[in-house]
Amino acid sequence: MNKSMLKITAFGIAVIGFYIYITIYVAGLSGTGGGESAGGVSPEAGEKIFWGDGQCSTCHKIGTSGSATRGPDQDGLAGRSEERAKELGLPTGLDYLVESIVDPEKYIVKGYDKIMPKVFDPPIMLSREKILAVLAYLQTLGGELDISAIMKYKDKIPEASKKKVKPWVAPVVVDAKEGEKVFFDETRPVTCGKCHVINGRGKKVGPELTGIGAIQTPEYFLESILKPSAKIVKGYETMYVITSDGIPYNGLIKSETEEELVLLKEESGEIEEVVIPKSDIAEMKKQEVSIMPGNIGELLSVRDFYGIVSFLQSLK
Amino acid sequence: MNNVKKLLMVTKRSAFVLLFILSFVLPLTLSQKIFASEAPAQVAQEGPVSGVPLPQFEGGQMSGSSQSPEGQPVTGVGTETAIAAAAEEEEVAPVQYRTFFGIDSRLVLWIVSELHLMFAAFVLGVPIFAVIVEIVGFKGGDIKYDKMAKEFTKLLSAAFATTASLGGLLGFCLFGLYPEFMGHMTNVFAPTMYVYALMFFGEAFTLYGYYYSWEILQGTAAKKWFHISLGVMLNLFGTGLMFLTNSWATYMMSPAGIVPATGKVLSLYHAMYNPLWMPVNIHRLIANVCFGGFVVGAYAAVKFLGAKTEEEKAHYDWMGYVGNFIGVGALIPLPFAGYWLGREVYSSSPVMGNIMMGGAFSWTFIIQAILIGMLFIGVNYYLWLGMGRIKGSERYTKFIKYLIFVIFLCFAVWLTPHNLPLSGEERAMIGEQYHPFSKYFGVMAAKNAVVNLIILATFFSFLIYRRSNKGEMVPFSEQGRTGKIGIFSALIFCLLMLVSYAVSLNFVELEANIKVFVNPLIRALYIQAFVVCLAAFLTFKNKGKLAQTLLFAVTACIAVLYFWYYAFQVMQKANLVLRYLSVTQVSIVMSCLIMNAIIDVFMFRKAKLVGGIVWGKMPVRSQYALLLLCIVIVILMGLMGFIRSGLRMDWHIYGVLQDTSPWAYTPTLSYMGRVVGLIVVLFLGLVAFVFWLANLGEKKEKAKPKEYKYEGAEEDYENTH
Repeated sequence: MNKSMLKITAFGIAVIGFYIYITIYVAGLSGTGGGESAGGVSPEAGEKIFWGDGQCSTCHKIGTSGSATRGPDQDGLAGRSEERAKELGLPTGLDYLVESIVDPEKYIVKGYDKIMPKVFDPPIMLSREKILAVLAYLQTLGGELDISAIMKYKDKIPEASKKKVKPWVAPVVVDAKEGEKVFFDETRPVTCGKCHVINGRGKKVGPELTGIGAIQTPEYFLESILKPSAKIVKGYETMYVITSDGIPYNGLIKSETEEELVLLKEESGEIEEVVIPKSDIAEMKKQEVSIMPGNIGELLSVRDFYGIVSFLQSLK
Repeated sequence: MNNVKKLLMVTKRSAFVLLFILSFVLPLTLSQKIFASEAPAQVAQEGPVSGVPLPQFEGGQMSGSSQSPEGQPVTGVGTETAIAAAAEEEEVAPVQYRTFFGIDSRLVLWIVSELHLMFAAFVLGVPIFAVIVEIVGFKGGDIKYDKMAKEFTKLLSAAFATTASLGGLLGFCLFGLYPEFMGHMTNVFAPTMYVYALMFFGEAFTLYGYYYSWEILQGTAAKKWFHISLGVMLNLFGTGLMFLTNSWATYMMSPAGIVPATGKVLSLYHAMYNPLWMPVNIHRLIANVCFGGFVVGAYAAVKFLGAKTEEEKAHYDWMGYVGNFIGVGALIPLPFAGYWLGREVYSSSPVMGNIMMGGAFSWTFIIQAILIGMLFIGVNYYLWLGMGRIKGSERYTKFIKYLIFVIFLCFAVWLTPHNLPLSGEERAMIGEQYHPFSKYFGVMAAKNAVVNLIILATFFSFLIYRRSNKGEMVPFSEQGRTGKIGIFSALIFCLLMLVSYAVSLNFVELEANIKVFVNPLIRALYIQAFVVCLAAFLTFKNKGKLAQTLLFAVTACIAVLYFWYYAFQVMQKANLVLRYLSVTQVSIVMSCLIMNAIIDVFMFRKAKLVGGIVWGKMPVRSQYALLLLCIVIVILMGLMGFIRSGLRMDWHIYGVLQDTSPWAYTPTLSYMGRVVGLIVVLFLGLVAFVFWLANLGEKKEKAKPKEYKYEGAEEDYENTH
């Protein structure tokens, strides 16, 4: 090899070496470390999983971070978990946290529904290590981190399902794009987009559905469309208000101040705002009936119906 | 036939043998699966039946968090169909994997596929500009272009056999190490695989036909056009091949056209034309040209550094310049294509989009920003050094310091992370997810603005390089009809681009409170259209330089400064409008580049030369700039390959077929860096070896050079030096 080729080779190796150094440096900066695999059981890894792979943030917020209201706010969770453990006769707060993940329906926080999926099952399928990392992160929310204590629960956490995901199959296969059109089609007697936001499109009367396909099953969509009152997402319960004049209103609370209440009520398929002064309210209580029309099944064709389900399923 | 030629022939033949075996083995081993999939697919297509009643639910039958069969519709034909479909679905055996002699299968596949992709990018990118260079040489009567086009094709011919061999190895690795995954892919794409094999033959025949008939098809215009048409055919086959394989790769990211549970193919068309197919096609097409240009530039640099004579130096200096020119030409639209691809990733799966820009992969874009910054700095540095070989360039060197400032400023903004790694406590203290200061530089609004500025700055570098040795100009009014037609055509093209987009923005379907945010975009497009008209008018009035200044100033004000601010507003208040804003930004910058380039060409068309270009008079460091560009683009391709593939996380086919192998985890950045580094070393080593082989034969033939010249050629190769 002549001199110029040696110099060229040295230059090439230097540039590639610089690149490798940058990746190692950025890996350190990003907190992913220099190991062979991402994560490990640490609060940092758990925080990433909480806001990423775990999809936890779709339903839970933490103080000012996130805006989801389907599940309880996890701010100060570690402190609360000790109290709950005492309530339920569990030895420690960590037992409560583990139980909430392994068997989420065993204890439901008052005011919330049984909607939390088992995160080791499809479609989320978190590995055992990732769940332990999330536990480490949750422990730091108002409590002290104790990794060795967490690791003792290793065997209690099921390993992620290795079965192939077998999604539900609609009897009528309709393209998700067709369903999207139906969802936002305002020429129809019923338009989902008038009350639900998906990726910034639509109106935010009901719960936002962006990314809903990643956390909910098609069965849930079928039920929510045909029997909207069966499960009402926390924060979207219908309020029944009677004014001192005896006028009744059913609707969602849009905003509430000391002086007035703004309700969103459905009138012939349209959503209207009603402002009621607080002083005029004689009675106000939560209803167990959703504001979402219960006759959507009658207003959609079979194809449109499965199109919407297919579209919601695709929102991953 | 000498030994070297024999060696080359053996390499090429071995590739064909591999391909030949592959084309037989694939259909044979998988024919059962292929044919088994056809009948159910037909049934599925007949599935939709009119009058199917909607499912009815009984109280307490549903469970929102389970996937139990109870959750399915309970009455009617639809239910029966669903139950029947469920009954058909027997428990599928778990995904099976094999190891590669005890080595991590993913690592093996990662290296082989990336090497194949890199060679393929070169093999697909180079013919595009080889044919263009040949046409330029033929139409201009300049033989040196023809010689260079042939030299490009010589490299191509040598690299092609290696690409095919790596493709064969990749196929065997995929079928051997990931059998179930490939079973699924074959079920869906079997018909296209035969087309692929046929098109590969087409590419091989046209490539070797194109290269080996170079000398035979000289002499008459008819022969030359026939030769050029062979080159065009080569490109068509190559592009077709790339589009086909892209459909497979993009299907893995955004699967469509199948029943996810069973893999039944409902529509092969939709499986191919999945949401990410066209964005990836366009991005790769441009990136391949860029890649090919920079690799050719590095080849020329190596030859320049090893040149023994001034003549050799001059030739390879010129070749390096052309390679760099091609690389830069393709590099400029690449960010726009990349943005489109990124946007479509978000559209097809918001979760994947978040993983890409805000999740596990967001830090890889910091590394990408460093690499792209290195590319732009390298390109500009090479152009500035190149001005040293042009007499008269001293008049323009004063601009370089400002350009350096602008480029490094852009680089700094581009490097600013989208979000600093804040802990939950820090987020709570700040009260929002973004850092209060860095958010103005880290979000897409800022990054889009500086991308456009860096492109404008690089274009400005190119313009001052172009006019370095140009002196007194012939007034435009005396340039004749060609100049007028040229400017007028560019004007019409730019107006069509700007005005048609402005008109289309009036009809976007958005809610009224969001649509108001579109109005400033429409106004910006009309302002730019007016400025383009004004620039054309000024050029006709012999004030071309003023026209160019005006275009640069207005474009920078609108596309960089104003949209930097406005995009931030849009992000906060009407995020949906951001996609229209980006296209507006691109259109405005593109109109500036096109109009400015055309004005420059005609303004300096017959200008007096204040000095010649002394090809070969380049400092050694300029050649290292070319080498840097090549190494960086190869690294960049490796990095982007990792990102594109890694976005699927632990899915072979996103949301359809899960990766349950032990290698399903996402590697850390440092591990990725080491693997990509290794791949780059292997690729550059192989390229060097293959090019060395290709040149062995040439050394013996050099004793008897064969020169030819087209009728009407103004100067031959020697006279240019």
